Amino acid sequence: MPFSLTSRIGDPGGKTNPEELLAAAHAGCYAMSLAGELTRAGQETARVIVTATVTLDEVEGGSHRIVASNLYARARVQDMETAELERIARVADQGCPFSALIKASGTVTVTAELEGGANGD
Amino acid sequence: MATERRAQVIWRGDLMSGSGRIENVTSGAIGGLDVSWPARSEDPGGKTSPEELIAAAHATCFAMALSHGLAQGGHVPERLDTSATVSFQPGEGIVKIALHVEGTVPGIDADAFRAAAEGAKANCPVSKALAGVPEITLETSLA
Repeated sequence: MPFSLTSRIGDPGGKTNPEELLAAAHAGCYAMSLAGELTRAGQETARVIVTATVTLDEVEGGSHRIVASNLYARARVQDMETAELERIARVADQGCPFSALIKASGTVTVTAELEGGANGD
Repeated sequence: MATERRAQVIWRGDLMSGSGRIENVTSGAIGGLDVSWPARSEDPGGKTSPEELIAAAHATCFAMALSHGLAQGGHVPERLDTSATVSFQPGEGIVKIALHVEGTVPGIDADAFRAAAEGAKANCPVSKALAGVPEITLETSLA
């Protein structure tokens, strides 16, 4: 698949770039971690949708740095309060090795909500 | 200017027997890629994994940084055959990344090419983001 600097810092124009691949990696890593933690908490996971948004920004001195990866998870689970999901979502972040790596360079935020509101559908 | 790149994954079921799919990304260039825990931790069986995507991200980032550094030094590369091999240890995470580049670069010697590659390895944004990886190695050669 093609990539270029223009697709990286400007309009992607259908080309991928390192940060997009990292976003896909982080979303995949976190989705697996969250599925594992939900099981550990006794939940039968029906579906988890995870979006990772990676931000590349110019920093002092003119170089570029990955400053953030923001995770947004929606989970369809049975009989769970939002606060419990949020707790599990934080544990999943701690258990995702890629989250730990990104924190060397930038911030990682996690937002989790129940699909269909509290108590699932 | 900050740029944002987004990727969405839908996961169904538990970790061990469930599976996920990278549904879409900002550029639309990739999507519909299946992932699973067995494919990640054992034989890939034709499926990608977070570590393989990180390998792709690191190799592309390194190639861009190196091409830029070489061009700034007056040696525009004809071709940089670049790879990143990511080693994943379940329970630990990424334990090693091995970068390799074979360059076709008119008018440069091996030492100068090596120095440019070391600079790219140290400074590309993905390298900085992966600074916590215990070991990142670099092999360079000229074609």
